[in-house]
Amino acid sequence: MTVRSIDGGVAAAQGAARASAWSKFWHRNAAGYGFLTPWLIGFFGLTIGPALISLYLSFTDFNLLQAPTWVGDANYLRIFTADPKFLQAMRVTFFYVLFSVPLKLAFALAVAMLLNRGLKGLPLYRAVFYLPSLLGASVAIAVLWRQLFQGDGLINRLLATVGIEGPSWISNPRYALWTLVLLSIWQFGSPMIIFLAGLRQIPGDMYEAAAIDGASKPRQFWSITLPLLTPVVFFNAIIQTIDAFKSFTPAFIISSGTGNPINSTLFYTLYLYQEAFGFFRMGYAAALAWILLIIIAVFTGVSFLSSRYWVHYDE
Amino acid sequence: MSFRIDRRRFLMGSSAVLAAGAAGFRPAFADDTNLRQIFWGSKARADRTFQANDLYTKANPATKISGEFYAWNDYWPKLATMTGGGNAPDIIQMDYRYIVEYANRQAIAPLDSFVGKELDLHDFDQDQIEGGKVGGKLFGISLGANSVASIVNTKAFEEAGFPVPDNNSTYDDLMAAGEAFKKANIRGGMKAFQDGSGVEPLLENWLRQRGKALYTADGKLAFDGDDMVAWFKLWKGLRDAGAVVGPDDQALDTGPLESTMVALGKAAVTFANSNQLIAFQAIVKDPVTIASFPRIAKGSKGGHYRKPSMFWSIAGASKLQSDSAKYLSFFVNDKTAAPVIGIERGIPCSASVRDLIAPGLSPQDQISLHFVSNLGDLIGPIPPSPPANAGEVDTQLITASQEVAFGQKSPEDAGPEFVKTASDILSRKG
Repeated sequence: MTVRSIDGGVAAAQGAARASAWSKFWHRNAAGYGFLTPWLIGFFGLTIGPALISLYLSFTDFNLLQAPTWVGDANYLRIFTADPKFLQAMRVTFFYVLFSVPLKLAFALAVAMLLNRGLKGLPLYRAVFYLPSLLGASVAIAVLWRQLFQGDGLINRLLATVGIEGPSWISNPRYALWTLVLLSIWQFGSPMIIFLAGLRQIPGDMYEAAAIDGASKPRQFWSITLPLLTPVVFFNAIIQTIDAFKSFTPAFIISSGTGNPINSTLFYTLYLYQEAFGFFRMGYAAALAWILLIIIAVFTGVSFLSSRYWVHYDE
Repeated sequence: MSFRIDRRRFLMGSSAVLAAGAAGFRPAFADDTNLRQIFWGSKARADRTFQANDLYTKANPATKISGEFYAWNDYWPKLATMTGGGNAPDIIQMDYRYIVEYANRQAIAPLDSFVGKELDLHDFDQDQIEGGKVGGKLFGISLGANSVASIVNTKAFEEAGFPVPDNNSTYDDLMAAGEAFKKANIRGGMKAFQDGSGVEPLLENWLRQRGKALYTADGKLAFDGDDMVAWFKLWKGLRDAGAVVGPDDQALDTGPLESTMVALGKAAVTFANSNQLIAFQAIVKDPVTIASFPRIAKGSKGGHYRKPSMFWSIAGASKLQSDSAKYLSFFVNDKTAAPVIGIERGIPCSASVRDLIAPGLSPQDQISLHFVSNLGDLIGPIPPSPPANAGEVDTQLITASQEVAFGQKSPEDAGPEFVKTASDILSRKG
């Protein structure tokens, strides 16, 4: 009896302590959480909630008009075993990521270095080079791209002056995807700005010292600029890779959502969109979305793991 | 793509409300009926529709109608999303391809209880009423009969010195026209025809002339691999001879009217629908006319059929069904609205409306009107409405036709392959 009552007393005391810790915590942070509420509501209501619902939907048949019916792993099974369009979409997307990201980064870095030489009117140039990224995926750009790259477009007229007769780049299955890669490279503004900021962080005396030691300009680039810039390269590479995987609008606008010619511009997200809103297979599309999420997560994870071998954080 | 309620109109509207309020008039408020309307189509269609809406509001000041419109491709995702979200507009433009799906899911409402009351159909064409029925109940009010048709740039044919195609033209004439265009070499190598191998209605028309169809009544394919081999071969022949546009150009056509070969000036003929003549004329500088799809041989019959071009339906979840029905009745019967609407959506189904507007129609509208009423032996029975997933088969046909056109596959391989893929698509559930 005594033992138990002592136990009970201890428990009660602990409970009281916990309660007072909680109230203390609450007292201290209530205002903070109060101010956070709008974000919390958004995060749980508009991000986590719908994401979980889409996970559920990926195991169902759902056509928007009727309630979803549970089909287990049937959607995933079909995607991996019996869906040639899924494979095509993967091919197109990986091609796009593998070519557009490195080329865009290289181009952005090149322009950033050009701009980093103490030019007069730098803000103006920066703004001008950033412009394409703002125009981005607008309908006007899609129209412009068609005008540039169709059979009798501007590019072919230029080529004709040197005697080359080009195909209709944008509607030829062999080249259509390249025009989209080009479009992506052209929109190099945001990585360029970030590179530019990174370049300015590199102390000038390093170059001075290197020059005194007799290092050539290319040598300076490879031994100073690039190593010191790796954190920025890493950041840009990850952001751009994720963006490229999710790329949707250019292909959607240029092909009116068809992914043609011959599915050569069928980006993964475009295929997902077709399944969801073209053919009303919301469950199937949700499964596709989760697969894309996992692919992006794996890519990002591998990048982070590999980063310790090539990204140099100084100090 | 919605052009309704643009800023100017909104400002005008709201300042009008303010002015009315200031002057002591009763401004528009919650006790007014607000009907929402959604349709697909071109700017030309939207202008006519909104004009008719204004007439309706003038006659029924307590009812406001706000309409939005989209291109065909964007329309169906939008409508499905709205319907799925329980937010469907009251008045919905519906297509033959989708009406069964929407009706079976109660996404649109049966209209039988309104007929004879809010909805006046007393001189409506019987076959067009039948066309709007699903399972014996009326789910859509046909907004006009139409038929597939070739859209022909007559000026280009004159320049090429070849007779303009008519309802007796055959696929052989198509080849001959191609030769003539090649010889004349007008407008930087304009071709006579678009490449029609990926145009589903053209394939259907061609199959029907061969005594087949696209789909059986129970939703299976009604043609086989041999048909498709012959089809792809036919077009390969025309393509190789340079009678139709090359694959690079044809692939520029991604669906919207503006990207068709006639609109781009790449060819003098595009395959479309009779009621689209108006929309085509609005974007093509030269005069355009319509002709039937080509016959497979002289005297070959029955490829065409008169179909409801589109319907007005009422959302199953709409709380304003009876008000909507009243609007529908106005749209298909009213004497002031009829000239405004014209035949842009198809030939009106009410006999008195037809008689009323016929004399006032422009020469081009007359062409449309006469075309649909005078198809003669080209007309065959109307096929059953297409099965679910038919839309995806349509997409697949475009892909297959491009594979042949770009030389990735031979007609002999592509034919059976298309039949297999299409059957797989049709048998897919969900």
